[in-house]
Amino acid sequence: MSNETYTLIIGDLSRELPLVRPTPNTRLPLVEFLGDTQLSQAAAKATLPLIPTDTDMLFTCETSSIPLVHSLAELMNLPYEVARKRRRPYMQDPIIQDVQSMTLGVGETLWLDLRHAEHLRGKKVTIVLDVVASGGTISSLEKIVVRAGGKPHGRVAAFSHGQPKMDIQVMQQLPIIALD
Amino acid sequence: MKTHPVQIGSLHRELPVITVAPGVAVALLNLLGDTDLTEEAGKTLAALLPKGIEVLVTPEVKAVTLAHVISRILGIPYIVARKTQKPYMHQPVTREVLSITTGKPQLLVIDGFDIPKIKDKSVAVIDDVVSTGGTLRSLSALITDIGGTVNATLAVFTEGDPREDVIALGHLPLYLEK
Repeated sequence: MSNETYTLIIGDLSRELPLVRPTPNTRLPLVEFLGDTQLSQAAAKATLPLIPTDTDMLFTCETSSIPLVHSLAELMNLPYEVARKRRRPYMQDPIIQDVQSMTLGVGETLWLDLRHAEHLRGKKVTIVLDVVASGGTISSLEKIVVRAGGKPHGRVAAFSHGQPKMDIQVMQQLPIIALD
Repeated sequence: MKTHPVQIGSLHRELPVITVAPGVAVALLNLLGDTDLTEEAGKTLAALLPKGIEVLVTPEVKAVTLAHVISRILGIPYIVARKTQKPYMHQPVTREVLSITTGKPQLLVIDGFDIPKIKDKSVAVIDDVVSTGGTLRSLSALITDIGGTVNATLAVFTEGDPREDVIALGHLPLYLEK
C-alpha cells in the first residue's frame, strides 16, 4: 500500500506523487514544487490563465508555493510578496494574522513585515497558493491584504484537495482517497 | 531610513539597514518578491558554478527562488533543507544551527526521500547571504552525514568578514555600534 502513487499530468509533464495519510482513513497525493523546476514551470504556465488579467500583484505565504509564484511572476512580469510563518528579528511593525486551518485543527500565524505590507497598499492583489484544502490560509492572506490597504482581487490555486468550499480558481483538483 | 547600495549585473538596489540585535545592524537582502534581482543573480551565479557539480542544496526560505533559477538554467536538480520536520517526511535527518538573522537555534531537515539525490554526489550549497557561516557549517555537516561532498558554496553576498571559501557577487558590511 505504501508504494501506491497518484499519476499527475500537466500538459506533457507527468509525475508519480506519493500518497500521504493525514488521517487514518484517508490518503492524499503530495505535490512538491520545492526542488522540481520543471513541475513549477509547467504548473505556472497552466495556472496563468486563471489569474485575473488586471492583477497588480501576487501574494502568497512561505514555503512550498514560492517556486510556483516566482515562475508566475516571471511569466506575467508582476511583483509578488510572501507572508512568513515566523517572526524574523528584522521585522518592524509587521501585520500579524492567525490562520484557522480546518484540515489540521491547528492554528498557524502569518507575518508580513511593514516594509512589504506597504507594497500592497492600493493594489489589486491576487492570492496564489500551491495547494488549497479548506481555504483557511487564503482567507487569512485576504485579511492581510485588506489590513495592508490592498484590494483582494482573486483566489487562485494550482491544486485543491477535493472541492474547496469557497470560490477559488483551481488549475487541477486532486482526489481525496477514502479507505474503508 | 539608512540604506546600503548594491549592484548585481545591470541592477541597482538600495538595501534597508535594519537592526537585528542590540548594537548589530545588517543590510537586508530580500530576493523573495524581487523576480528581476533573483533572475539576474541566478544567471550570474550559474555562470560561476564550478564544473562537475551534480546537485544544489539550499536552506529554506529566502534562497529558494535563487536555487530554482540556477537549477532551471543549468538543468541541475536542487533540494531544499527545511526548517521544520514535516509529518509526511520519510526518515528525515536533522542538524541544529544558530543563525544571525533569527537569533535562536534552528533546525535544518533533509527528507529521507532526498538522501539518494545527495549521497555520493558533488554538491554546491546555495544561499542568499553568508554571514557568520553558521547555517553553512551545519548544512555542510548535514550533507557530509548523508554521504555528499560539498565542493562549492555560492551566495549573492558575503557579509561581515570577507570569505575566500564562498563564490559571491559582492560583500555586505556588518554594522556594529560601540
